Amino acid sequence: MSLDYVKFSPGFEGFMPKEYRDMVEHGPFGKKTSVSQMGSFKEILEEHPMCAGCAMTLFIRLAIIAFPNPEDTITVGTAGCGRLAISQAAIPFVYGNYGDQNGVASGLSRGLRLRFGDQPKDVVVMVGDGGMADIGFSGTLHSWFRKEKFTTIMLDNEVYGNTGGQESGMTNQGAVLKMAPLGKKFEKMDMLSMAKLAGCAYVATVVPNNPRRVENVIRKAVLIAREVGPTYIQAYTSCNIEYAIPTDKVLEDCKTVEDDRYKFSEHITEDARDYLADRYGYKEFMPKPAMAAISKA
Amino acid sequence: MYLVANINIDICAATSCKLCTQFCPEANTINYNTELGKDEGYKYGSAYVAVDRCKGCAQCVWVCDNMAKHHAITMVMIDQLPKAAMTDYITYGEKSTTAQLVNPTAGSE
Ligand SMILES: Cc1ncc(C[n+]2csc(CCOP(=O)(O)OP(=O)(O)O)c2C)c(N)n1
Ligand code: SF4
Ligand code: SF4
Ligand code: SF4
Repeated sequence: MSLDYVKFSPGFEGFMPKEYRDMVEHGPFGKKTSVSQMGSFKEILEEHPMCAGCAMTLFIRLAIIAFPNPEDTITVGTAGCGRLAISQAAIPFVYGNYGDQNGVASGLSRGLRLRFGDQPKDVVVMVGDGGMADIGFSGTLHSWFRKEKFTTIMLDNEVYGNTGGQESGMTNQGAVLKMAPLGKKFEKMDMLSMAKLAGCAYVATVVPNNPRRVENVIRKAVLIAREVGPTYIQAYTSCNIEYAIPTDKVLEDCKTVEDDRYKFSEHITEDARDYLADRYGYKEFMPKPAMAAISKA
Repeated sequence: MYLVANINIDICAATSCKLCTQFCPEANTINYNTELGKDEGYKYGSAYVAVDRCKGCAQCVWVCDNMAKHHAITMVMIDQLPKAAMTDYITYGEKSTTAQLVNPTAGSE
């Protein structure tokens, strides 16, 4: 949990696999890397067994690049497709039992604060819609009501992808799936309103066909969770297998769903705005007179 | 045999817009070399595919055709590529990567 773990043990340089050597010498640790530099630095995410063309994979790839301090970040996941990739990254990954991820993350984030004090250590939960809105629902909501300071990201493919196509609370009304042949009977759950009601300091929706926006919302969410309060990002990350989307049409589908039910939205509290402006120089949240002073200077 | 993405350097190096890698679901699969094509007078370098990491989804083809509108990427059977980039033969520099091209079905030989 610091730059110290991303280095060679003396005498072992020559024995480490190429991927590890590339990570130590050309990885993003301790540097500011962004999506615009993709393809020219060694990424934290490695090869993994998620399906070809899966939009969830693309989202996870972008999210990990967006972490403001990857060397000080721990991810928390649970059963579901996403963990197959998140676990194959060069940052610590904690695997909770199905649904208990926000409980695990609460303890972890509190423990890290006790141990490291003011030095920020970021905890990021990334879990499927079934694991979060169904099985982990109470744990998720309670962590928000308790104002636990960490980031929760829902990988919403609107289905239980890993187990072959059961409906989740996040499935759209009427959707017919392999293991839900009669069609979903009730509406897609409104987790965004619940996150706001429970007092999350930052809530955003995003789709992976806008990489810079993914980067932007993840950075804000992780930074705000350091000091202000819980943050929640809900990302549409289609399952091309269960929804039979040809892999070369995945981005087209993202756009269709974005226009239909995943328009970009961002909710940020006053405290969080002030914090991003004061601490991290976010111009968009600076009060107007302060902005004028900066442009004059 | 299976399909992998192949980037036409002559088309890509004319702009090297760097869009496709931001949409490839796999990490470090579409990389950039700022020197590729410079010997032929192109200024920006080119994208190339580490074929051992490519899962053949063709999302990059869609991106290059429909977003970049450059039509530089096609899907090719891996044994039909005479030479291609593979992870073991890619080196990272400060702002760019370099790939020594090898036969993907025979490795370095
Ligand atoms: C307690 C428990 N119940 C059931 C399972 C089986 N299980 C594994 S993954 C999964 C579904 C995951 O669906 P979701 O959370 O939506 O993630 P996705 O795979 O769609 O990304 C289930 C039910 C489990 N691992 N543990
Ligand atoms: S089953 Fe669906 S969500 Fe899971 S890896 Fe495959 S395409 Fe992605
Ligand atoms: S989208 Fe096409 S033109 Fe742009 S970098 Fe990729 S291959 Fe080259
Ligand atoms: S075919 Fe898919 S995995 Fe291969 S380079 Fe293109 S986007 Fe990446």
